[in-house]
Amino acid sequence: MTTRWKIALLAICVLGVAAFVTRKTVTAAPQAAAPGKAAEAPTAPGGEVSIPDTTLAINSPTPMSQRIVHYQIDAKYNAPKHTIDANEVLTYHNLTGQALDHFPFHLYQNAFQPNATWVREAKRDGSRDTTYEHWDPKEYGSEEITSLEVVGQGDLTKNLQYISPDDGNKDDKTVVDLKLAKPIAPNAFVQFKIAFHEQMPETQARSGWKRDFLLGGQWFPKVGVFWHGAWNCHQYHATTEFFADFGVYDVKLTVPQNEVIGASGVEVSDVTNPDGTKTVTYHGDDIHDFAWTVSPRYRVKEATYQSQMGPIKLRFLMQPAHWDQVDRHEKIIRESLDRFEKWYGPYPYKTLTVVDPEPDSAAEGMEYPTFITGGTSWFMPEGLHFVELVVEHEFGHQYWYGMVATNEFEDAWMDEGINSYTEVKVLDSILGKNTSTINLAGMTLGEREDQQLSYESVADRDAMAQNAYDYYSSNSYDGITYGKTASVLLTLEGIIGEDTMAKAMRTYFMKYRFTHPTKEDFLKTIEEVSGKDLRWYFNQAVYGSPVFDYEVSQVDSYPRNWYEDKKDKKEPKKGAKDETVYQSYVALHRKGNFVMPVEVEIKFDNGEKIREHWDGQSRWTRYSYQKNAKVVSAEIDPDHTLQLDRNDFNNSFVVEANPKPTYKLSTYWLFVTQWVSQAMAWWAV
Amino acid sequence: MNSNQGLLSSGLGMVMRNKRYIFWFWLLNLTLAEFGTAAFRRSAHAILDHSFLSDKLMHSFDIGVIVGLLQRPEFGQTDSMTTPAFFFGFLFFLFTAIFLPGVLAGYASTYRLPREDFFRACGRNLWRFIRIMIVAGIVMGIFAAALIALNGAIVKKATESNNEVLPFELRMIGFTVIFLIMTTLRIWFDLAETDTVLNDQRAVRKSIGSAFRHTFRSLGRLLTAYVASTLVAVAFLLAGLSIWMNLVRPGSIIGAFVIGQITLFLLLIPRFWQRGIAVSYWQQHMLVPVAAVQKAEAMPVAEPPAPVAPGPEPVTVVSALPSPSQETH
Repeated sequence: MTTRWKIALLAICVLGVAAFVTRKTVTAAPQAAAPGKAAEAPTAPGGEVSIPDTTLAINSPTPMSQRIVHYQIDAKYNAPKHTIDANEVLTYHNLTGQALDHFPFHLYQNAFQPNATWVREAKRDGSRDTTYEHWDPKEYGSEEITSLEVVGQGDLTKNLQYISPDDGNKDDKTVVDLKLAKPIAPNAFVQFKIAFHEQMPETQARSGWKRDFLLGGQWFPKVGVFWHGAWNCHQYHATTEFFADFGVYDVKLTVPQNEVIGASGVEVSDVTNPDGTKTVTYHGDDIHDFAWTVSPRYRVKEATYQSQMGPIKLRFLMQPAHWDQVDRHEKIIRESLDRFEKWYGPYPYKTLTVVDPEPDSAAEGMEYPTFITGGTSWFMPEGLHFVELVVEHEFGHQYWYGMVATNEFEDAWMDEGINSYTEVKVLDSILGKNTSTINLAGMTLGEREDQQLSYESVADRDAMAQNAYDYYSSNSYDGITYGKTASVLLTLEGIIGEDTMAKAMRTYFMKYRFTHPTKEDFLKTIEEVSGKDLRWYFNQAVYGSPVFDYEVSQVDSYPRNWYEDKKDKKEPKKGAKDETVYQSYVALHRKGNFVMPVEVEIKFDNGEKIREHWDGQSRWTRYSYQKNAKVVSAEIDPDHTLQLDRNDFNNSFVVEANPKPTYKLSTYWLFVTQWVSQAMAWWAV
Repeated sequence: MNSNQGLLSSGLGMVMRNKRYIFWFWLLNLTLAEFGTAAFRRSAHAILDHSFLSDKLMHSFDIGVIVGLLQRPEFGQTDSMTTPAFFFGFLFFLFTAIFLPGVLAGYASTYRLPREDFFRACGRNLWRFIRIMIVAGIVMGIFAAALIALNGAIVKKATESNNEVLPFELRMIGFTVIFLIMTTLRIWFDLAETDTVLNDQRAVRKSIGSAFRHTFRSLGRLLTAYVASTLVAVAFLLAGLSIWMNLVRPGSIIGAFVIGQITLFLLLIPRFWQRGIAVSYWQQHMLVPVAAVQKAEAMPVAEPPAPVAPGPEPVTVVSALPSPSQETH
């Protein structure tokens, strides 16, 4: 589209939006999202301000969220120095029902300093980005508010004070609190004019630069969320990410002209400047964060997806070496959109930008509103579905984070875990249940297995319902938040039924989209939809950390008349019915503390099958049978719904040993051992 | 026939005439590996044999089941599986070092080397081989460490580039260079070992020095022959894996075992071929005539072994390997 057409289209949009806003607003005449004036304060003639109710970036005639904030940011990126200088105007609508005399802000680029909490935790527990074995100055990041004015109260820069509400770390500067000169009354608006300077680090926590690439995430002073009667503004931790209010974003980004740029929201203008830069303006509606990226080497593909609410412009920014994988990215996005819209609800935004970030950049696999990063490599066989996995996962966050905006600091499982559950469902349906992660050269791995494996080794470490930054380690955080949550919800399907679970998920999404639901909102929705009291399950699975492990501990059959002299016994003739009556026992053992009713299927050598139901309350139970048949096997959870069971091997016992699987594995291991010893001998002697 | 083909074909001829050595080494390799994998087998039997879950392994190579198995505490630490495998792998290396002198003697011999001569050659050269291996270990270790470090540094530098494929390309080029250099060093010490055995050289430094000169004097020929035989090994491996993956059913254990063992058997050939090349080169260029060479040359090598003439007659070998009755000091 040419610039001229863009301007014409924008002018029409602006006029339309302005007319719409003027018609609706009585007490204050808010300024529409005039793209050319995006960074100006939305001041009404009477001096009042408000939040625009624009719909430029969504396929909806009306706003979809209760808009609390309006960010107008004018940022200039110095590519060689990796710095950003910006002016931000934040309009905040006080809907808390009480006067507010102070406002906390996130300053998250300050996390990347040696004594900051983020670095301390990453060094202690490990991080997927860096080990911090030694400090590299390139990893330094900073975010400094150079001036802050509150409209009507003057310059309050000196009132800023760093706070560390989570761990008391005086060296952590990721949260700053502003004490106002006078409180903001309920339902009033307040406007902050902030100038800030930022040094971006070499990518960490999916933010920063790598070579000539930049991912601008967590990059601007962002106000906390007033939630449940108090400000909720956590420090930046190694395992935490987001919590923010919905609103409108108008962001001008000035970058070198050779950069290819992508960002949250819709692009509303692209102006070339005489100094070798260009200014691209974006507008976002009903989002709670804004991210952007630049690289001079992106190759771009654009496409359109017709969603339930209207067309979505898909934009893929690919690394040149990955261009042959752009269709894989597009295919999985289209299929994910299809499943999510069918199963959970519509995607209302007009854009979705998929970024293939710089290799080795620690910017892979990240979600921001209408903007995600994938992650691949130049060599990625079709049978390795890691591209599909990461792109689908990050897309899923458009629902579980983007729209259902839970508090990731305190309930990460509601964001990452619910998303992991839907990831299993979506990838199962697209790539097959047992092959959704790997299907290459005879090797297979399903995503649900992957989630279960990640949780098994940390099953007794932590509960799901706890602060993300209070986990034992990053491994425990990953295993519980992602793997256990997915397994808990897959197991729940077995309790309430797959269809009921699907209905509950859709109900939850539609009811709580564009809000900040709590864990109880989610759990109660499931109870309401299923019509079942599931507290017994949630208390253990969500609020506790008991280990789930059932085993078949005994399978035994012997002739009832075993004590009779064998000489007197007559062996049944070949083909004749065995009239021997056998006494059989099957014992089940609950090894862990997680109490759960289970089914067990017992098979006899005459083909008979019996299903027993055990409430699991006691530590063990035993079933006994007298039949003209011996037990051949017993299997707990014959329908394979107990994804939460930590050890699936002991869920069944087959009387007649089948050594073939072991022989098969041994053959492989034997080959490897021989080959390695041959190679050793080849070179060493 | 050019000289390279001469080396390759004469070396291969020695291998083909002495196929029994490859068989015995394969059997040794298999037997030791069986011991090395016993712990794995025992642990896997305990968990898999009575569980329905293990059925998944028969339908495909289910990574989830395998990882789940490895994670089970009752399966044991991974170390307890890999350590015995490595230990028995090391034993194979030691046995190779012990029996190699006999192989070299057999290759050089125009007749089927009697068992006692084979083991005599092994015993006589054991300490010499240990000394050569120590020197080879030091030299090759230094070269390998330096080259790998250099390659790593180059690749690390290349990661600063915007070209994502460049580090991989440089790594592959680096590996190729390392392979060629290490192969050159291997040739050197292969010739030294050959010279030590066939020349009955007690002073291994002389063999090492002589082998060094010959290696670089005929580097092109020798390196080409060694690389060619290595490429054959790569072809065997790729062909074996390809057949395994494409033709063997997931549930066929016998099929997997047979294809795997055939592949491993074939993989032994190229290394023995290289030994044959070294022996052949030694006979052509490094042999110090200590006996009536003309007589030996008159005898076709491929002829069936002639009875060794007793008494003071010249020995009918093309090497200077002492006859069973000779004793050198």
